[in-house]
Amino acid sequence: MNSRPQVQAQTTTCHDDALAGLRSVLRVTRPEADFELIRRAYDVAASWHEGQTRRSGHPYITHPLAVAMILAETGADDEMLCAAMLHDTIEDTPYTPAELSREFGARVAALVAGVTALDQAKDRRGRVTARAMAAAKSADIRVLEIKVADRLHNMRTVEFISQARQLRKARESLDVFVPAASELRMPMIGAELETLAHTTMKRNRHARSVSGRLLVAVTALLPAATRTRWSEEWLGELHTLPARRDRIGFAVHTALGIPRLALTVHLLAKGHGRSG
Amino acid sequence: MTGPVQQVLRAMLEDAAVPRYGLEISKQAGLETGTLYPVMARLEGVGWVESHWEAPELSIADGRPRRRYYQLTRDGAEQARTALAEISGRREKRRSTLGSAWPAPLEGTP
Repeated sequence: MNSRPQVQAQTTTCHDDALAGLRSVLRVTRPEADFELIRRAYDVAASWHEGQTRRSGHPYITHPLAVAMILAETGADDEMLCAAMLHDTIEDTPYTPAELSREFGARVAALVAGVTALDQAKDRRGRVTARAMAAAKSADIRVLEIKVADRLHNMRTVEFISQARQLRKARESLDVFVPAASELRMPMIGAELETLAHTTMKRNRHARSVSGRLLVAVTALLPAATRTRWSEEWLGELHTLPARRDRIGFAVHTALGIPRLALTVHLLAKGHGRSG
Repeated sequence: MTGPVQQVLRAMLEDAAVPRYGLEISKQAGLETGTLYPVMARLEGVGWVESHWEAPELSIADGRPRRRYYQLTRDGAEQARTALAEISGRREKRRSTLGSAWPAPLEGTP
């Protein structure tokens, strides 16, 4: 049996501010919403995610709250809003499906399970498969709606993840989630998602060039924990060079220094080099 | 302290308070990027230099990925100045010693 972190009191004191925006949206889109239930879902999710942060540095709970907000704007029902608040608890915290079901009912638990299953049904390139999307759609279409809202918020905050992942998410958004949004009749969400995805691809266009691929490939020689930092730093420089010849020159020269960089990083990790 | 490290420190000390990205430092120090980045990693590892990502809003407005900026730490700038002064002092001394031992210093031969 998992014990919930002892933070209930603290989240209760500050959730009024956090939920004020959601409440005012619901007053317009669904005045009949059971706000107390949704508040409870927020509290439970906030206590389980306590201490976790997004890549942006914000508390993790800001993400499920934003997803619930996106859905509230489309007039989503109470079960969806609760499921949105709780959508990452099963995957990312010790909260169990049985506890969730006991506290919020089997229908909310089924929605969260559906979202979790969709997250886990990835092919070897890390993409949600069309089959998983179809399965989710036939089980409960609301699972897909939550997933599309989830992706929208992830794309709104995409600049905080590595470039390689930014590109993957952008491509997947265009291939899978933009069509899904139009099928689900979420036109505003689909349009915003499409714009965000195109902007992301354009911003990172050189990552797929010969130079970009070379720079990313050679970081394989560096310790795993430092690869993203260096590849991202170099791709950032690459994008400032207007001439292709300069980009290739930069990539080749930088690549030639990798063995030395690998040695330096290795020695620093072992505590050498303190002498300056 | 190796030559490239000195070149980097000299370039960065020109205006120690200004954060610069790697490409900029490599041009100012006259080093290829393959030489520069290991030096930067080392200087950062020993705390003379610190680095940070530029604010995402800036790069997004420009439609490109964010860049990483380097800056000398206060301590690093001080130590770098001392170390470089020591090195040029030693060089001065060696030159004068060599000058008295050998009548025609190497640098002076055509």
